Amino acid sequence: MSAPELSLAPARARGWRAWIGADAAARIAAGVAIFLVWEVSVRLWAPAFVARPSRIIAVMPATLADPALWHAAGATLGAVLQGLAIAIVLGTTIGLAIGRVPVMERFLQLYVSGLFAMPMVAILPLLTIYFGYTGQARLATVVFAAVFAIIINVSDGARAVPPEYIEVSRSFRGSGWSRLFDVVLPSSVPYLLAGLKLAAGRALIGAVIAEFYASIPGLGFYILYNTRTFKHSEAFVAVAMLAILGVLLELLLSKGTKKLLPWYRRDEARD
Amino acid sequence: MPRNHPRLSRYATYIVALAAGALLWQAVASQTNPAFLASFTATMGAIYDFIITGTLFRVLSSSLLVFFTGLGAAIVFGIGVGLLLARVRLLRIGLESYIMVLYATPMVALIPFIMSMMGFGFAPKALVVFLFAFFSILYNTIEGARSLKPEMLEVARSFRSGEWGVWRDVLIPYTLPYAMTGVRQGIGRGLVGLVAGEFFLSGTGIGLLIMQSERDFDVPGLYGSILIITILGVLLMSIGRMLENRFAAWRGLNR
Repeated sequence: MSAPELSLAPARARGWRAWIGADAAARIAAGVAIFLVWEVSVRLWAPAFVARPSRIIAVMPATLADPALWHAAGATLGAVLQGLAIAIVLGTTIGLAIGRVPVMERFLQLYVSGLFAMPMVAILPLLTIYFGYTGQARLATVVFAAVFAIIINVSDGARAVPPEYIEVSRSFRGSGWSRLFDVVLPSSVPYLLAGLKLAAGRALIGAVIAEFYASIPGLGFYILYNTRTFKHSEAFVAVAMLAILGVLLELLLSKGTKKLLPWYRRDEARD
Repeated sequence: MPRNHPRLSRYATYIVALAAGALLWQAVASQTNPAFLASFTATMGAIYDFIITGTLFRVLSSSLLVFFTGLGAAIVFGIGVGLLLARVRLLRIGLESYIMVLYATPMVALIPFIMSMMGFGFAPKALVVFLFAFFSILYNTIEGARSLKPEMLEVARSFRSGEWGVWRDVLIPYTLPYAMTGVRQGIGRGLVGLVAGEFFLSGTGIGLLIMQSERDFDVPGLYGSILIITILGVLLMSIGRMLENRFAAWRGLNR
C-alpha cells in the first residue's frame, strides 16, 4: 500500500515544479520579447521623443525622485479613495432601498441602469458647471463613475437574501432595523465587494479623465503636461504608476473577497 | 394571453416611472437657476431642435462610424488573438499576466501619447475605442480558454480530429460565450473611449456637441446631448446583453 504512494509523491512534486519552471520561463521570455519589439520598432519608425523601454529606464530614477510625481499620485489616489468611500455609503443605501422596497425599485431601477450604461465622460462638462474647474469636479466624477456599479450589485444582493432568513428574524420578533443590519446588510456584502471591484476601475478612469478635462493636478494632468512638452518617457513612468494602481486595486479587492468571505464565490459582477 | 401580463405591467411601470421622473425634473427645475439645471421641457425642446436641424443625424453617424470601426477591430483581434492563445498553451501562459495588467490599466492615460503621435482625425479616435474595448474582449476570451479542459482536446485528437475540427467543434464553441461577455464589457468601455476621444483628440460627433453646448452656456442643449448619449448607451448595452445571453446558452449546453 505504501510503496506506490511513496513512488507517486516525488513524481508529482517533480512534475509540479517543472510546470512552475516552464511557466516562469515563458512569462519572462514573453516580457523580454514585448520590450524588445517595442524598443526596436520605436527606434526604427517613430520620432525620437516617443517613449521606449531603454529611455524610460534611463529617466526613471530622476522622475521617481521628482516630488511633483508623488504629489500628483497622492492627489489622484486620494480623490479615488475618497470618492469610493462616498460611493460605498451612497451606493449601499440606495442599493438596499432598491433591493428591499418595491416602490423604490419600480421608480429608480430604470434610472439607475440608464445612468450605469451612460459613458461617464459625458457628464464631465455638466460637473464642471456645478463645481468649476476644481478638485471637487474630479471627486464628483469619481463618485458618479463608481456609485452605479455599487447600487446595481448591492440591490442584486439585497434581493437575493434567502426568504428563510427574513422569516427566522421575524419569528424571533427582530425589529426592522435588526433585519436590515443583521440579515440583509451582511448577506449583501459579497455583492458589495463585487460591485466595488468594478467601481474601483471605473473610479480610476473617471479621475484621470477629469484631470485631463479640467486640468486638475494629478497623475492624469502630469501625463498630459509631460507629453505636451515631448517628455514622453517621463510621462510613461506616470502611466506605469497608474497601471500599478489599477492592478493593486483589482488584486486587493479580489484577494480581499477571498480572505473575508472564503465561502463565497461570485466571480462575475454585474457590469 | 396571460403570458404577456408580466411584460405589459413592466412596461406600464417604466412609463409611470418615466412620467414621474419628468414631472419631478420639471418641478425641481422651476425652483432652480436655469444656468445650472435646464427644465424637462427645455431639454426636450433642445433635442427636438437637434432632430429637425439634422444635427442629431450628422453627429450620430459620425460618432457611430468611429465607434463601430474601433469596436469591430477590437472584436476581430480580441477574439482572434484569444482563440490563438487558447490553442497555444505556452503562449497563453507567457502573455496572460501582461494582458491582465493592460486590462486593469486605465487606457485613458494613453490618449495624450496618441494625440502627439497620430494627431487629429478619424484613425486616432478609432484607435482609442479599439484600445478601450480590445483588452476586455481578449481578457474574457482567455478566461474561456483557461476553462477549456485539456482532456477535451485529447478526446478530439483521439477521434482523429484535424486542426480545423478542433477549432470548429471544441475551441470556438467553448470560448465564444466568454468572448461575448467581453464584447458586452467592450461595448461599455468603448463608448467611454469614444466620448473621451471626441473630447480630447479632435472634437467631432456627440462629444463635440456636448462640449460646444457647455462652451456656449446652452444648458438645455447640454442636458439634451447628454440624454442622447445616455439613450445610445442604453441601446448599445442592451444589444451587448442580448448577444451575451444568446451565446450563454452554449455555455450551459457544454458544461
